[in-house]
Amino acid sequence: MDSLFRNALGPTAWIILGMIPPAIFALYFLKLKRQPLEVPSTYLWHRVIEDLHVNSLWQRLRKSLLLFLQLLIVGLAILAVLRPGWQGESLQGQQFIFLIDNSASMSATDGENGRSRLAEAKQRVVALIDQMDSDMTAMIISFAEQPNVVQEFTNNRRLLRDALDRIEPSAAQTDLTGALQLADGFANPGRVTIEEENAEYEITEQQNIELYILSDGRFAGVEDFSLGNLQPQFFPIGSLTAENLAITALNTRRGEERPELLQAFVQVTNFGSEDRAVVVELYLNEQLLDAAELDVAAGAAASTTFNLSREAEGELRAVINPGKDAKDDLKLDNTAYAVLENLRDSRVLLVTPGNTSLEAALTTDRAKRLAQVEKISPSALEGSSYQRQSQAEYYDLIIYDQCAPEAMPQSNTLFVGSLPPGELWQKNNANEKIFGPQIIDWERSDPLLSLLELGGIQIADSLIVRPPLGGRELVDSTDGPLIAIAPRDHYQDVVIGFEIVGDDEEGNRTFNTDWPRKHSFPGFWLNVLDYFSGVSDDSQSTNHPDRMVELQLGPQEDNVEVVLPDGSRQNVTVDDTGRLNFTDTSQLGIYSVLVGGQVGKKFAVNLFDRPESDIALRVRQAGEDDLITVDSLDIGYVEVEAQSPQLEVRRELWKPLLLLALFVLALEWYIYNRRVYI
Amino acid sequence: MSKATESSLLSPSLCAQLERLELVTRKIFRGRMKGERRSKRKGQSVEFADFRNYVPGDDLRMLDWNLYARLDKLILKLFLEEEDLHFYALIDASLSMDFGEPSKLQYAKQLAAALAFVGLIRADRVRIETLDQPVFQRNPVYRGRASAWRMLRQVEAIEPRGGTQLATGVKNFCLRNPGKGIVVLISDLMDKDGYESALKNFLSHEMDCFVIQVLSQAEIEPDVKGDLRLVDCEDQDEAEITVSSPLLRKYQQTLNTFCSGAQQFCTKRGMHYLLANNQVPVEELVAKHLRRRGLVR
Repeated sequence: MDSLFRNALGPTAWIILGMIPPAIFALYFLKLKRQPLEVPSTYLWHRVIEDLHVNSLWQRLRKSLLLFLQLLIVGLAILAVLRPGWQGESLQGQQFIFLIDNSASMSATDGENGRSRLAEAKQRVVALIDQMDSDMTAMIISFAEQPNVVQEFTNNRRLLRDALDRIEPSAAQTDLTGALQLADGFANPGRVTIEEENAEYEITEQQNIELYILSDGRFAGVEDFSLGNLQPQFFPIGSLTAENLAITALNTRRGEERPELLQAFVQVTNFGSEDRAVVVELYLNEQLLDAAELDVAAGAAASTTFNLSREAEGELRAVINPGKDAKDDLKLDNTAYAVLENLRDSRVLLVTPGNTSLEAALTTDRAKRLAQVEKISPSALEGSSYQRQSQAEYYDLIIYDQCAPEAMPQSNTLFVGSLPPGELWQKNNANEKIFGPQIIDWERSDPLLSLLELGGIQIADSLIVRPPLGGRELVDSTDGPLIAIAPRDHYQDVVIGFEIVGDDEEGNRTFNTDWPRKHSFPGFWLNVLDYFSGVSDDSQSTNHPDRMVELQLGPQEDNVEVVLPDGSRQNVTVDDTGRLNFTDTSQLGIYSVLVGGQVGKKFAVNLFDRPESDIALRVRQAGEDDLITVDSLDIGYVEVEAQSPQLEVRRELWKPLLLLALFVLALEWYIYNRRVYI
Repeated sequence: MSKATESSLLSPSLCAQLERLELVTRKIFRGRMKGERRSKRKGQSVEFADFRNYVPGDDLRMLDWNLYARLDKLILKLFLEEEDLHFYALIDASLSMDFGEPSKLQYAKQLAAALAFVGLIRADRVRIETLDQPVFQRNPVYRGRASAWRMLRQVEAIEPRGGTQLATGVKNFCLRNPGKGIVVLISDLMDKDGYESALKNFLSHEMDCFVIQVLSQAEIEPDVKGDLRLVDCEDQDEAEITVSSPLLRKYQQTLNTFCSGAQQFCTKRGMHYLLANNQVPVEELVAKHLRRRGLVR
């Protein structure tokens, strides 16, 4: 296998091939019928021939250049079929699986001449493929966030090479486990096991499969995986000294000191070995908003915040510019995206039999800027429209005034004068009414009650609301908590124990409290709208490439398109509950969801992955010798040693040989036609 | 113009050209008859040559009596002798000469006719023979312009015949013609036994010998290709060749060696050698090359 030649033909083919040169000889001499030509005298010719006959064997061969050339062509072809080569590690085994990492860090350009790691990995695999014999089969799997079978088992080296070309760099994280499971599935397609007396026997005889993992190792070791027939080999790709600066976070949030301002928070991490100064530029809708210079120490992170106006909306982009001279091997993570969404988009449903003061508080100018408030009467709770929308996360907040639904909706809720259905709240509270409670304390630090003065509010009667586990009492009275908040899944429920308006014993509408007359009343509702409508801000930085993005749209919306960052469009379908699951998030950037041609929602996909950005190969100094070895890879309980990064490549000669044969063929044709005397 | 000039061998223009020429020899030959040729010998003519002292035995008729009266010495008055010249043209009429365009034989015949014509004009004795004629067959001797047509008829009648041994032919010629004179051998010299022994025969006869080797263009630069079986037209000898560039180069070399060998052989033995290509017109050959060689002037 390791020799100068390797056989590419079977015995029959060899016999046929071996018969060709004698056949050419035979044909040549059979064909050789000399044309008689009468000449004045053969005197001189004889003398010529005698001279040439001195080394007659050579002359005999030289007699026919065409014969010589034909034999040369066949010789070259035979030599090419023998596949001469040298300096190669040979492939051992019959079946191979090449796992090629195409995650974000594989785009790092720290290879030779600025080549990317992926290109390097591809070159390695091409070298391995070139060594394959005709009876060997191989398959190629690329893996990042998701494993992808690029080419199934084949012995067609051209197919394999083509498949290799198709592998594109992605911006996703690395997940080896999925790729291993996929490889395992392909490696043991027909695994049949029978259990007999608590022992498992595998019926089909399994062949060992060589598993070549080409990655820069930006992932943790794989646990709970049995390699079985897979014989793993790990080829680390990349250099030990790669430098990278990355944006590892971009958030927008309300200013802590000045809540009316939005702040953009940018975190830059230096994964290199030198301290660096970097300029962070922030663009809003492609217009430069601000820039700041950051000093980032080696291996550390630094952050800065930019102030934005409250009304700012659109696409936010942060770019770091490491400077011309600075080395930055991974460009993907130099840009981060965020979406500033219009907060008025948040929807609030008010379910009330009629409450003018509450309605007035929810429709002030400022409140309109924060949310759209819809109003329905309690009788509409039975309607199908409510049923659908409440389960479809359509509303950010539903306010139940003097009523309660049968089941909790999929949204944040605020109950006025009633308790939420379900055991959580009901079991703590006995629906007991107390009369004339006095507010003694309230949670001033809570965003719902910030800047509010609740003292002096008179309340006729109220329910005592004790929050379930995990909840907090917001307003405490002489008789017990009056307002409480508690989480439910990822929603929050607020319960106000007292009604604002209610029915008295005679059934007349009457005020239950004088709170609507206080300044704190509209302030409280503004806080409520602000608090619940602002929730969506926090979700924007969590989308990672190649992971599914869940979006909540209105139900039954059709003609929904997603515009990818590169401008291409994709039609998507929305399920009954208005949920949109979008999976094609391989690109970094901002995705727009078009509903009926209008931009409905936007979301940003960012790398924000420290393991991927930390592109330098992890090294382990072997103490005894000076060699720098790359860490091994743990798969299950097997430690896979990293192979030498300089993989010896077998150089094969058959291509130039065939080209040479072609050239000789052309030469022979030329000589035959031109009768050139050579 | 005589009838002879209408022959295919000699064109009128060639004849006009030839009439201005004469055959030259550096050797002193005794002609049988007085001719128009000034000989190197002193003899009886009207042209004074020299004086010399009388030695007993001299012809008294040659004494200059006037000088004897004046100087009281016997002094001989020498006159230039005028004599005729034997010119032999020996044509190789073997089959191998029947090649080329015009054929070498035709070329040889033309050349021989031209030279013979010069001889006839100058009242030399001209005899034309072929190599293959038997020892005892003597061809007529022509003399004088009037014989030109007969000479031409004889030359024209020469046909290529059989393989002739060069040595035998020359030997026979020498046996038939013991006298001195100019002999022009027109042949391709392609004899498998070599030309050396043949040419040596001329030496013993002290003849002023010209060897004109006639080669056809096809022999000088053979235009052959492929795998060939060459057949010798005289003895049916065969040579198998596969034409290649080295082979042709080798042929060229061999031909050059052969020709220069013949030239050296001739030069060393006081013979004149001339290589004639059948593509060179006879007029040019006679007027330029043979004049330069000193055969005609």
